[in-house]
Formats: sequence, structure tokens, C-alpha cells
Amino acid sequence: MGPIIKLILLNVVTYLILKFVLPNVPGSAPLPASLIFLYLLLTTSGFLILATVSAESKEEFWGPIQRFLVGDGIGGLQALRWVVLILFPLLVGWQTYSSTAVSDAPPGENRTIHPAPPGEYAGLSNPVPKTPETIQQGKGFYAAFCSPCHGGNFDGKGSAARGFNPPPANFADPTTIAMLQESYLFWRIKKGGVGLPIEGMPWKSAMPRWELELPDEWIWKIIMGEYDGAHQSPRTWE
Amino acid sequence: MIRGLSRIVPNVVVGACLAIGFLIVQPAAAEEKPKADAPAETQASSAVSAPLVKGALPADDPTAAIWSSAPPATFPMSPQVHWPTRNLEATVKDMIVRGLHDGTNVAILLEYADPTEDPDDAAAVQFMVGDKKAHFAHGQPMAQVEGGPVNIWYWKNKDGKGVDMNAKGFGTLKIQDHQDVKAKGAYANGRWKVVFSRPLDTGHPEEDTLITTAGFINIGFAAWDGKKDPSSGELKEKGSQKAVSSWWYFRAEAPPNYTGYYYAAIAVGLALGFQFVLIRKLKKGQSA
Repeated sequence: MGPIIKLILLNVVTYLILKFVLPNVPGSAPLPASLIFLYLLLTTSGFLILATVSAESKEEFWGPIQRFLVGDGIGGLQALRWVVLILFPLLVGWQTYSSTAVSDAPPGENRTIHPAPPGEYAGLSNPVPKTPETIQQGKGFYAAFCSPCHGGNFDGKGSAARGFNPPPANFADPTTIAMLQESYLFWRIKKGGVGLPIEGMPWKSAMPRWELELPDEWIWKIIMGEYDGAHQSPRTWE
Repeated sequence: MIRGLSRIVPNVVVGACLAIGFLIVQPAAAEEKPKADAPAETQASSAVSAPLVKGALPADDPTAAIWSSAPPATFPMSPQVHWPTRNLEATVKDMIVRGLHDGTNVAILLEYADPTEDPDDAAAVQFMVGDKKAHFAHGQPMAQVEGGPVNIWYWKNKDGKGVDMNAKGFGTLKIQDHQDVKAKGAYANGRWKVVFSRPLDTGHPEEDTLITTAGFINIGFAAWDGKKDPSSGELKEKGSQKAVSSWWYFRAEAPPNYTGYYYAAIAVGLALGFQFVLIRKLKKGQSA
């Protein structure tokens, strides 16, 4: 196998591992494209250093490239040479255009959906005893105050929901209240959208600041009703 | 020969690897760009783009033919549930918005369905003022973020004019001393068309949103169904009881920009020149 084929294969394998294998390793996450590109560049540089340590290996590596570009009698590769010589400038041009062209898309938004709560809310526990009666009361309050947006089925599809961006949370979705502690919900309901930190983009949220309208005890009951109605359990730290 | 090669070829290979690398990574990077929020199923747009027109702006004509040259953007509306007094159902479900500008003035056309024409029917457009973010509900204070004011352009059927206002929190709505906004409505076939117009820059950056061709600004919409209850005389929607939208984006389009093509042409020329020099050097090296 020629060294050029080796280099290409090495890069392809590295790319596949970084893109598809590594993110599946427990505790890992998908790699940003810029980082993958950097790793491929490092792989290539390393290979080039190895390929040029001796005059012999250098010739082995560069020789075929040189023959491809200027050698005579390369047969069918002659056409490929022209393709490469035409395609390369076009690629450079296309790359330049796409990196300088003015974007038509509105700015992207990276809203943090569950930002950290203020310290005073961490570790609060629900003071209301969990009984069928209190859960039922909570569901009643939920129906009156929350369901217009969060939906009678706790799915975020209330009749008033459709115009809001971000949309009202869907409590049946396992990535919402099932990932959160009751104290977190207490903070979110009490302080509402305007209580979010800057990474939560508070200026976009329609969630009311319920502390102005509901007593704390009702809020704790609503939380119990929400978990029960959405068939979820609060996250706990055991 | 090898000496000549060793100086040039690494550049070629690195260049080629860069090009190939970009090709591989570009689609991946595109995937990673944060997607515009798309909450509701009916959500069609996230921005209004107002083209530059050469002739006269239809600033007081909501039915002018030129409006059809502006791309429509549709935004879902919700009843105002954020703050008492709430309404849990609102007449206006969707707002279709178009924009045009002539480099000096901007015109924004709202179009929506309302089954009845009433004197108290009203509509409004809202913007953030300055660099600070403002909450979409009248710029009300936020606990952890210092917010800015909102600029509201308001029109009511029976008044037949635009009103230029500011707010920074509920109950702080204030009519500006200098009125820069014009508005006109036309009702036909169960639909309102309301056009608002204003200079792009009013010279009052503390109170008015500055509209430039430089980029996107935030925009929101509201509509009131002023239908009167025949028995009680109560208006169906008034004050905080209205249909509202979230924040979306608006921009006045810049004149066509061809610099991207120029840069691309220069890059192609450079790449061709590089190839030419490279092959000449390689050939020289071969014959030497």
C-alpha cells in the first residue's frame, strides 16, 4: 500500500471514529466540527513528518504526487489530472464565497432550557404532605392556572400555547420535569420567565411570575399535581 | 529535483488537505448551526425581510400592488396570558407581515383575519430600543437581566392614525413627545390590512428603535378585536387582553452585495496562479 493511500485511509478512519464512535462512549458528547478538523490536520501533519524523515520515504511519498501532476505517460490518469487542476481552484473559490457571503438567516439562538437556579432554591423540599387530597388539589390549581398553556394533558399543548416561542414545557417529555427536582419547579413557577438568568433568554418567556398571584402552598401542590398528572417523578440525589 | 520538490509539495498537500478537510467538515458544521426555534406546528417564519424598493413606498396604502413584491412572513398569535388581566382566547390567530423600505423610510404591513370590523379594532408592532434586551410583554423588568424599553407603534381603527409609544414594564405605557409613526388600516373580506410607516432613523435613539440595513432586529405583534358585546357593551378585547406574538426578527434588506463573488474570483485566480507556478517548478525540477 502506498503512503498516500495510507494517509487517506488514516484520515477517514480517524474521522469515522471521532464522528461516530467517540460520541457513543459513555460520558462523552458529540465533537464540534472545528475540533474534528483540527484532529485531522494533526493526523495529516504527523503523517507528513513521518513520511519525510528519510530521503527514501520522502521519495516514496512525493514521487507519485509529482508523477501524477507532471509525469508523462500516465494513461487514463491524464483526465483525472485535468479534473483535479480544474476542480481545485473552483473549490477554493466556492469555499471563499461561502465564507464571505452575507447570511440570509436570522441570528442563531442558544437558549439554555434549564439554567441553574439561584442558590436559595437548591435543596428546598416540598413542605406539603403528599396525599391523594393534596395531589387532587394541585391538579385543580393546575387546570385553572397552568393548563391554558401547558395543556390539560400536561403535554405543552394548551389552547394558548401556539404563539409562544419558546413553547410551554411539555411535562410528559422525560427531558423536562423528570430531570428536575421539585425545588427547581418551585423556582420556575414562582419567578416565571422574567426570573431566568441571561442564558435562559428571559425576554422571550411568557411564563407568568406566579409569586404575585399564588401562595407558595398552592405552588407546591401544583408541582405534585404536575408530576402525578404527567406520570413522572422528581429527580432525586441518592 | 527532490530538493525543489520538498519546498513546494508540502504546501500543495497541506492546501489540498485543507480543501478536502473543509469539504468534509462544511456539511457537518452546517448541521451544527443552531436551528431557529420552531415551536408550533403552524410556525412558518422567524423573520420579516423588507426589500429595498426604488419607487415610492406604499406608506399610506395597505392595498398597494407593490406589497405583493414583499415576501410574507406568518407568525402564530396567542392570547395574552402572561399578566393579569389575561384572556385565554383571542380572535387573531395568525399575523401575516410584510415589509418594504426605500433607504429612508420603512413600511410594515400587518394582515390578519377578524370576522367583524369594529371602531375599537386595533393592532400594534413592538421593537426593542437600544442594545438592551426587553421582555416581550411591554419590556417588563427581569430579575437577573437589566432590560431596556420597548417602542410600540399603535393603530386603532376609530382614530385612524399611528401612535408612537414607549413602555418599560406594565402600566408605564407613554405616548412620545415626537410622533414619527404613520398608520392606516383597510378592512375587506373579513381581513384587516394595516400599514405602519416611519423613517428608518428618527434621530431619537433613546426612544425609537433604529432600523438599519446592517442586520436583524427584534419585532413583536399585537392585535385587539374591538367587538362589543351587544348586551353588556363590553369590548371583547382591550388593554392587556389581546392577541400577542413572541419576539421574532425583522430586517431592512441591504442593497445587493456582490463582494462575495469578487473575493471568490480573486481566490480562484490565486489558486490557478499557484497551480501554474507549482507545475512549472515541478517540470523544471524534472528536467534538471
